[in-house]
Amino acid sequence: MPPAVAVTGLGKRFGSVRAADDVTFTIARQEFFSLLGPSGCGKTTTLRCVAGLESADEGAIRIGEHVVFDAACRIDVPPNRRGIGMVFQSYAVWPHMSVADNIAYPLKVQGVARSVIRERVTEVLAILGMTGLGERRPSQLSGGQQQRVALGRALALNPTVLLLDEPLSNLDAKLREQMRAELKQIQRQAGLPILYVTHDQSEALAMSDRMAVMNEGRIHQLAPPEEVYRRPATRFVLDFIGTVNYLPCRIVGTDGTRVCLDLDGAAVLTIPRPPYIPEGDRALLAVRPEDLVLGRAGGPVEAEVALAATVTLRSFLGASFEFRLAWNGTEVRVVADKGSGIADGDTVALGVREGLLLEPDALSRPDARAS
Amino acid sequence: MSSVGASRSLGRLIDWRIWLFVLLAGFVLVTVIYPIFQVAIRSFLVDGRFDLANYERVLLQPRNYVAVWNSLWVSVIATVLATVIGVVSAFLVQRTDLPAKNLFRLLLILPFAIPPLFAAMGWVQLAGPVGLLSQAWKAAFGTVTVPWNIYSPGGIIFVLAVTNYPLVFITVSGALQRMDPSLEEAARISGVGAGRIMRDITLPLVRPAILGGALLAFVSSIDNFGIPAVLGLRANFYVLTTRIYEALVVPNMPLATAMSMLLVLVAVIAMFGFRAVEGQREQYAVIAGKSVMPNVVRLNRARPWLVAGLALAVIVIVVLPLLALIIASLLRYWGADLTLANTTLAHYTAVLNAPAAQRGIVNSLALATGAATILVVVTALISYLNIKERMRGAGLLDVVGLIPFALPGSVIGVGMILAWSNPPVGPTLYGTIWVLLLAYIMRYMAFGLQATRTTLQQIHGSLEEAALTCGASRLRTIKDVTFPLLRPGMVAGWVLIFISAFNELTVSVLIWTSGSETIGVWIFLMQDSGFTGRASALAVLTLPVILIMFLMAQALARLEERRAQAAGTKS
Repeated sequence: MPPAVAVTGLGKRFGSVRAADDVTFTIARQEFFSLLGPSGCGKTTTLRCVAGLESADEGAIRIGEHVVFDAACRIDVPPNRRGIGMVFQSYAVWPHMSVADNIAYPLKVQGVARSVIRERVTEVLAILGMTGLGERRPSQLSGGQQQRVALGRALALNPTVLLLDEPLSNLDAKLREQMRAELKQIQRQAGLPILYVTHDQSEALAMSDRMAVMNEGRIHQLAPPEEVYRRPATRFVLDFIGTVNYLPCRIVGTDGTRVCLDLDGAAVLTIPRPPYIPEGDRALLAVRPEDLVLGRAGGPVEAEVALAATVTLRSFLGASFEFRLAWNGTEVRVVADKGSGIADGDTVALGVREGLLLEPDALSRPDARAS
Repeated sequence: MSSVGASRSLGRLIDWRIWLFVLLAGFVLVTVIYPIFQVAIRSFLVDGRFDLANYERVLLQPRNYVAVWNSLWVSVIATVLATVIGVVSAFLVQRTDLPAKNLFRLLLILPFAIPPLFAAMGWVQLAGPVGLLSQAWKAAFGTVTVPWNIYSPGGIIFVLAVTNYPLVFITVSGALQRMDPSLEEAARISGVGAGRIMRDITLPLVRPAILGGALLAFVSSIDNFGIPAVLGLRANFYVLTTRIYEALVVPNMPLATAMSMLLVLVAVIAMFGFRAVEGQREQYAVIAGKSVMPNVVRLNRARPWLVAGLALAVIVIVVLPLLALIIASLLRYWGADLTLANTTLAHYTAVLNAPAAQRGIVNSLALATGAATILVVVTALISYLNIKERMRGAGLLDVVGLIPFALPGSVIGVGMILAWSNPPVGPTLYGTIWVLLLAYIMRYMAFGLQATRTTLQQIHGSLEEAALTCGASRLRTIKDVTFPLLRPGMVAGWVLIFISAFNELTVSVLIWTSGSETIGVWIFLMQDSGFTGRASALAVLTLPVILIMFLMAQALARLEERRAQAAGTKS
């Protein structure tokens, strides 16, 4: 069985800017696939090429069994004949049509019988939890409801693949989380493959089966969310997802399970051996805030070696605390479950549970290897 | 992001859009570029050779300098007056606790829809030698003369001002309505009083709108024929438009052409002058897109006085001239005493039985309908190619189509005669009604382009892309999404063009011929030959058409505002 979508070697230029550069991925049947990256990374361009709203310069796109785009063979099927469903960032719900007319439109275009259309619209409204709102005008709906109408319209024809372009970015935080769960549920129910574009890492991490992290037109990593988070392929991915502290260090020694580091002469510590060890002895240690542990100065800390640091700012985040510390002239951010006893200006013990090693000049190279 | 129709393969490059563009370009070439070219070229030709003799003749005749000079100073003073009236009334209506605001607004905009010729006639009935106000003055003060003379530059300036101030009122009202109120609130929080806020914050911020409105009023004054014709010819006071009219009555085509170029020069210089005063217009981007609750000044003790003053002004400026027109149409003879015995419907029967007047009514209705319909369709297509298909050529057509808006009507009239008297190819249209249709199309193309372009710009591209991804073809998308959303803009443009074409006189009076009279031309000719009663009767008969169109335009504007507000809360 062929994948739902196969994109091979996609390239697209806007003037001198390479918006998409050798973008290759496949989406399996029923898979939730995300393109994640900052604005201008090429994720939306890629999505629009798959939709047929943009014509790529290079590469090929297959949807189901059909080649819909091939630069070499000059194949470019227009969007209306690609059998896709798409939800736009701005919803693009037609203001001059009722909710039911919006959802019915793709069926009407296909010339589906009226009775069938009515049935399907009722069904879709039920899936969306909007039964009885069919006669409303879009201007009478809330943002979340308009979002649902846009989704319903995209689902109405049972598309081969559903394309979503930052669909939740115009909703407020609470609604966004609710829609996240609903979207996932609707997808599972319909058994649809989804290509989801977002700049919100938490959305991509929470919903995707697999995701591609993009920057400057190129895919930096293509993997399941956990792997992307735990084993970022490049410095860019490491940086873009979550928060990272960078500490310059020297590699003193390694064995099969551990690595011993000298933190610029201030301390020597041993951490579990990371997947990648740069050549040479200089390196950058990258540690996420939750992989650092805090303890009282001089007291015992979970991790092997404790560094002495000063608290500059304590912030209460509700479920946890965030600390900004000054250590050896560098600012270090730590997230801890408990922190009631610690105040600004206190000296604390700082331990490193685990981290990744990068080339010493990785900060200036987004594509430097990270694992 | 590229538009809906990014070009795909070489085979499809030569598609319907190219053909459509070629057709539209041909239309613009014939209706706009060709007449402009004729005026520009012919003014430099004497017996088919390049010669500056025409200009020499224009410049050697003192009467012509005087006309240029008169056009300028009369228009400048009238513009200043119109700006004062427009700005003050806009502030009172938009930013104070004035009662019956909607009624005031409606009445204040009304003169925009009334032909300037009617205003001139109304003021003659009111303040002319035997006018109603003049008679009242004489009776009240026991004199045989009045301290004013409507047939004078002063009379022209006054009537131009009370005719053109709505242009300032409309632009300034719009700016006041859309201004971000937090700018004023910030000043209020700093402890500044409401009056001071008006002077220090609000007025400077709407300055671009005031200057923009003033420019429109100036161009409209320079362009006007009806008012200086009715009030100036009798006093031997000529401005450029009436001079050109006279040169064509003789007829002296080369002279009229060279003077047209002078008129263009005056208009261009004026526009650059305004640009210079205006300075950097983009300096502030404080006018937000949506309507908001504005900062309202309480009038307090001044309220009854200001209300009475504004009401009086509206009655004098708007209501009285129309009333005088109606009275004149019912009086047995001009200047007769206002008694029931002196009233008659004879003028109406005379007008309705005159074949020329009948033709005028039919012609004006047909021309206005035809020009509005053709223009709305053509400009919608140009704007579609320009905005939605991002065709550069269509962008050029848009720019070219806007040029006639800056051209005084007399120039368009002269251009039409030159272009269609003995065209190199095609029939001689001058002398038929078609030349009037072409003139209106040229003159009001900008209105259609403006209305359709702005509406299309507001239709977000994703609305059309959504239809494509729903399986609709490009043409189907246009039919189901683009066109329904564009329709309100097309209707608004249609109404605006209809009103303007229906009221047109400056061009029509130059190019009408027997059989192709318009209402305006016929009314002017009657008034000019002393048949005041008949002229007024026909004017009164056209008022219902004008009023219905005016109210429709107002209702449409309201609707548009509400739609914009609804859209503003959505995305």
